[in-house]
Amino acid sequence: MASANYPQVETSLLEKVAPVRPPNDLDRCMERYQQADPEAPGTLIYALSPALLRFFRSQIASRQQADDLLQETWMRIHRVRHTYRPGEPVVPWVYAIARRVRIDGYRRTSRIVAHETAVEVLPEVAHREESRSSVPDFETLIAALPEAQREVITMLKVGGLSLEEVARATSSTVGAVKQKAHRAYEKLRTLLQARAEDASGGEQ
Amino acid sequence: MNCHDLERIFIQGDLSVTSPLPPEADQHLMTCSRCRELVQALRMPGDEETRPSAALSQLAKDLASDLTPVRPLAPAGLYLLAFSGIFASIVAFGVYRGGTLALSAMSAVQSVSILCALAACGLLLAGSLVHQMVPGSRHRFRPVFLPAIVIVSLSLVVTVLFNFRHERHFWQSGLACLRMGLPLALLAFVPFWLVLRRGAILSPRATGAAAGLLAGLAGTSVLEIHCPNLSLSHILVWHVGVSVLGALGGLAAGAISETMVRQRDHRRVTP
Repeated sequence: MASANYPQVETSLLEKVAPVRPPNDLDRCMERYQQADPEAPGTLIYALSPALLRFFRSQIASRQQADDLLQETWMRIHRVRHTYRPGEPVVPWVYAIARRVRIDGYRRTSRIVAHETAVEVLPEVAHREESRSSVPDFETLIAALPEAQREVITMLKVGGLSLEEVARATSSTVGAVKQKAHRAYEKLRTLLQARAEDASGGEQ
Repeated sequence: MNCHDLERIFIQGDLSVTSPLPPEADQHLMTCSRCRELVQALRMPGDEETRPSAALSQLAKDLASDLTPVRPLAPAGLYLLAFSGIFASIVAFGVYRGGTLALSAMSAVQSVSILCALAACGLLLAGSLVHQMVPGSRHRFRPVFLPAIVIVSLSLVVTVLFNFRHERHFWQSGLACLRMGLPLALLAFVPFWLVLRRGAILSPRATGAAAGLLAGLAGTSVLEIHCPNLSLSHILVWHVGVSVLGALGGLAAGAISETMVRQRDHRRVTP
């Protein structure tokens, strides 16, 4: 495992990411869902919900709101399950619907706290248990990104979608997704560097 | 390997939080603290609990108990045929009512070019609409930009093909074209929207604008075949104007549809 080279990486955290079934299994599961197999909805929900929940959590602050959006997503998926085309990948289809639910939810609920503007420094995090790692966690890191870049990074890194799948889910092109990811990484590098300089300046 | 190469692997490779990195990337990370910190941060998910809640488990059971088989959408080609058929029917009807005076007035190059341009724009929009019916479809152009791309392209073609001419009754002749083109656009929009409703429209405004533009193009096509006024200003303002008004009308229809769905969902949630 590459993570063994980096003592600061906590492998227990990596293990907490729910395993996602291979895409082909999920595609077939969706086909069975359309054919009214009673086990299919539960299989899909348990397979995809952890990543979807993280996708919502990366865009909005509240766990409760993320749970509500997740429920709404599955209800909407149930209503439009006839639009999935057998043979096509189901993951971008699900994420496209989830993305729309998130946008509708944000517009509907004015009290949702959204990270609308990029910030020049990493946001101050509420007091957490002291971690062995000095690197900010994933949510803290990407919270500093503009919404579109944050969405792309979350789909790529947490959802495990490919560039093509992210392009499909966001009704965009592969080139546009690459550009957003590139800008996001550049911004994150800059923010991490500024943070490191502040930390070393403080120690002095 | 340098920082740029590593970023390219990280972006273009299918690397999720658990994927191992290739050996050359490992070597770079041993020497570059900036990349090491970034990779560590992106490969460290938070320690937040992401197990499905009890409510979600209950939802899974409810969905399973209320499950009926559904028929998947017909192949994309069939919907493309439907949109093309509606478009062609409206144009044929308009030409039957109005006549083909413009074809006699235009040169062969002008008539073939403008009709081909209109057909190409129509096909592009119809293809996009078919993909917009299915979430997660591949798009050649972003749906939100496509109406603008089509209108600008068509305007450029018209500008190249026709010249400015002095007109005595600019407004009078223009309004006559609007009176002919807009009802045809409206007539086309209704069946387009009925076909689109079969799918899952994620962005009613973008889809409405595209459908409205396609309907407007049907009206514009009839005008290009019927109206013998070949002045560039007349064609740009009044003929292409029908398409623009169609797009705006479709955008408004999409916005209204979105509001109605939001209000319906709100009533469903709140007692």
